[in-house]
Amino acid sequence: MARSAKAVPWFLFAAGGTITAFVLPVMLFVTNIGPALGLFHDAMSYETLSSFLSWWIVKLALLGIIVLGLWHSAHRLRSCAHDFGIRADAGVAVVLYGLATIGTLATIVVLLSI
Amino acid sequence: MSETTVRKPYMRKMSKTCWFMTHARFKSYMLHEVSALFVGIYMCVLIGGLFRLAQGPEAWANWMSTMTSWPMLILSLIMFAFFIVHTVSWFQAVPQAMRIQQGEHFVPGKLIIGAHYVALGVVSLFILILAGVA
Repeated sequence: MARSAKAVPWFLFAAGGTITAFVLPVMLFVTNIGPALGLFHDAMSYETLSSFLSWWIVKLALLGIIVLGLWHSAHRLRSCAHDFGIRADAGVAVVLYGLATIGTLATIVVLLSI
Repeated sequence: MSETTVRKPYMRKMSKTCWFMTHARFKSYMLHEVSALFVGIYMCVLIGGLFRLAQGPEAWANWMSTMTSWPMLILSLIMFAFFIVHTVSWFQAVPQAMRIQQGEHFVPGKLIIGAHYVALGVVSLFILILAGVA
């Protein structure tokens, strides 16, 4: 069987699609929609969040969700660009995977700084 | 007899950018594909929030007042709708990607999808309890 580099983005796409399908609706509700409606005041306070994020397991989970979400999004948007009639796939891939790489590094840096 | 014929094959006119608007199936395909844009936006929101959290209590308070503003709530509700589209369409596709054989038969797709919804409920409940509900 021919070896292909496609397996890597595909794995990230599938893993990211799965994890985001399970956690994003409830996460968005807790981080954004709820607080806008006056909910989760304590959970989203600076004190609670900074002590919550002092656990390595929490940092690792967040890292997994954000990084896989980014790569899932980048890979799917690449095929979206094709669907919207943009045929410069190589350029699109460089831009989207580049953004995902920057996002990945930023997440690592910021999690280490908390 | 020499007859020159100019071939004029029929070319169906199709828009490069809006082709999916012609069929309900294509529309629903595009709907779940476009959800990736909102996944990407939310990941950026989370990263931004982490940076603000790292900057201290004041920066975090400013961030949260932006997050709870009206424009942000509207964006969040749009994102939420697309996340639901993503979750439902992703679960729908699982039986096609994951065939589980039990003895001589395959586990029915509905059962696999159902199990995913149960897991979604458990995960959501767990996160809600972590956030202080119930």
